[in-house]
Amino acid sequence: MKELHFEYHMKLSFDTPVEKHRFTLKCVPRSGERQEISDLSVDVYPKEFLSTYKDSFGNACIYGHAEGKHDHFSALVTGKAKTGLAPSETAREDYQIGLYRYQTNYTAPGPVIRAFADRIPFAPDATGFEKALQYMKELYGHFQYVQGVTDISTTAEQAMAQGAGVCQDYSHILLSLCRIQHIPARYVVGMLMGEGLSHAWVEICHNGHWIALDPTNNLIVDDQHIKISSGRDYKDCTVNQGVFVGQTRQTQEASVKVWE
Amino acid sequence: MENKDMDLYRHTDTVNELLARYGVKFGIYKNNEFHEQLFPFDAIPRVIESDEFAYLEKGLKQRVTALNLFIKDIYGDKKIIRDKVVPEEFVYASSGYLAQCEGVMPPKDVFTHIAGIDLVQGKNREWYILEDNLRVPSGASYPMIARELCRRSSPKTFQQNHIADNRNYATLLRKTMDYVNTGGHTVILTPGRYNAAYFEHSYLAEQTGAHLVTGNELIVENDHLYFIDYSGKKERVGAVYRRISDEYLDPMNFNEESLIGIPHIYDIYRKGNVALLNSPGNGVADDKGIYYFVPKMVKYYLDEEPILHNAPTYLPFYEPDMKYVLENFDQLVLKDVAEAGGYGVVFGSKMTAKQKENFITLLKKEPRRFIAQEVIDFLDIDIMEGDQRVPRKADLRAFVLMGEEPMVWKSGLTRFSRNPDSFIVNSSQGGGFKDTWVLSQ
Repeated sequence: MKELHFEYHMKLSFDTPVEKHRFTLKCVPRSGERQEISDLSVDVYPKEFLSTYKDSFGNACIYGHAEGKHDHFSALVTGKAKTGLAPSETAREDYQIGLYRYQTNYTAPGPVIRAFADRIPFAPDATGFEKALQYMKELYGHFQYVQGVTDISTTAEQAMAQGAGVCQDYSHILLSLCRIQHIPARYVVGMLMGEGLSHAWVEICHNGHWIALDPTNNLIVDDQHIKISSGRDYKDCTVNQGVFVGQTRQTQEASVKVWE
Repeated sequence: MENKDMDLYRHTDTVNELLARYGVKFGIYKNNEFHEQLFPFDAIPRVIESDEFAYLEKGLKQRVTALNLFIKDIYGDKKIIRDKVVPEEFVYASSGYLAQCEGVMPPKDVFTHIAGIDLVQGKNREWYILEDNLRVPSGASYPMIARELCRRSSPKTFQQNHIADNRNYATLLRKTMDYVNTGGHTVILTPGRYNAAYFEHSYLAEQTGAHLVTGNELIVENDHLYFIDYSGKKERVGAVYRRISDEYLDPMNFNEESLIGIPHIYDIYRKGNVALLNSPGNGVADDKGIYYFVPKMVKYYLDEEPILHNAPTYLPFYEPDMKYVLENFDQLVLKDVAEAGGYGVVFGSKMTAKQKENFITLLKKEPRRFIAQEVIDFLDIDIMEGDQRVPRKADLRAFVLMGEEPMVWKSGLTRFSRNPDSFIVNSSQGGGFKDTWVLSQ
């Protein structure tokens, strides 16, 4: 168990002001069986109108709009998190989480992922959890962590074909592999101890519990990760989404800090 | 009856001219180009006796009630999956299933506000359900306006025959919209004039007294939906009969590229602050693969025997069905579950040996993607071709509206194939339409 402080910051700057802006943010961690969030502060600019809701995957969402002209859009989320409170999170009944057993556009395997999956021998009585762990280990040995060779639209199959990518790619590939085996698996966005960007990992369901696996670091998540959201793939967890009126060039900066 | 109707048949051309003048058209896209075409009207009506319609009415209400319960269950508790009545792969692999709709319950638990159920009658006089349309079914406006024009051209036909008045569709629709309205105006949302059913959108708006709007006239503010009128004033909207498909409805929740949608409309719907007719996500229940399970749903949710039957259908997904399909390939019609509008339908008997071989390879590779049905021996309906009455294949789209109770419109859209050899009646494939008379005694 750890007591962590976190700070998530995101800023979009517009070189020409925009208006009639509509946005949705999924950047606020929630308390659950594995983590307890306290001292939470959420500061969004512009704050003309903000409202909250829980999406279909159980994520805390903020949505809002800003009619007037503004030259930037930002969110600062800070707080404390007690992590590693439980080894896993209770899942709904197996028949209710079926949607996590099916591939999405991001995770659909092609020949490269299928060939990789076929090369991995499992013990005849291997459980879903053991298979997922073995996939993670093999993937870690095979795939290279390289920034800048993939982007947010890269699919698992594309990333696997070039053999390199970042946490989003590791996660999509592991999801693809687990779903080939009909193991319910979901994509997770969150924060990892240290300084950097937001992180992505995977949760698989085993015996009625979601167990978190971080394929980028080849480990079972313990108390160094703060979870923000989960869904079927990257798209369900998009941190910031918006539409506005204005001819502009935008630049985005984002940073995450997690410390003890 | 034959003789009494003769006067009306003489007016086919007049009615068609009037339909053209009123702009009763539908648009189709071919090779990425938009073409508007007339929807040819044939004056010989389909006539349904009142007791026969009473039977259809009962069966349709039962079916749509079960479908509504199915959608609620799928986006809620999923008991039908738990009880293994519907295999989960048919739900999650369906393109109509939208994960964004999980856990979202609409006002008054109505999902299927306006259902268009396609039926055919066999030579044995038995009716079969061909397809359920629960997303944005169109077509009610055509028999409405055709009836109006026929009444004008041949008033005596309608004095001599006891025909249930079909002009109440607008009232039924208004009732359906008002029942779920969360407070405020009712609007009909159209993608605009380059839509296949634009005539219908404007006609229904006029008939129901709802505002006809496009996406840029609606705005979400402070957790509510507003309509911006011509003077710039904002008026609260409580119900949206949206004639745009799920994926384009809200770029923040569905297809983010959509320019015709309303950002955040789904978020306030989730909060119960506006009604959307029909509910997003309904496609999970009108998928051709799910169709097979509808009679099972009737039993499961209502504990009743289904009154109306499906056309005999096989799911190659199940091993015994695959065997049957391969053995009886030439007698069957095969349908791609992902396609609509008469596309993706092939007849086993009409394939060349090579096509058949390719198709069977595909079928074995993706068995879930197809259903196979016995070719129904349709009861033909006559149409006028010049001065000749000639028989043609026809279907019937019945409209079921779900207000406090399900209501079946005493009319419907009868579509026919103009090609004597074709079984496909869809308007996008060049068919025509007829009025549907339900006799009142």
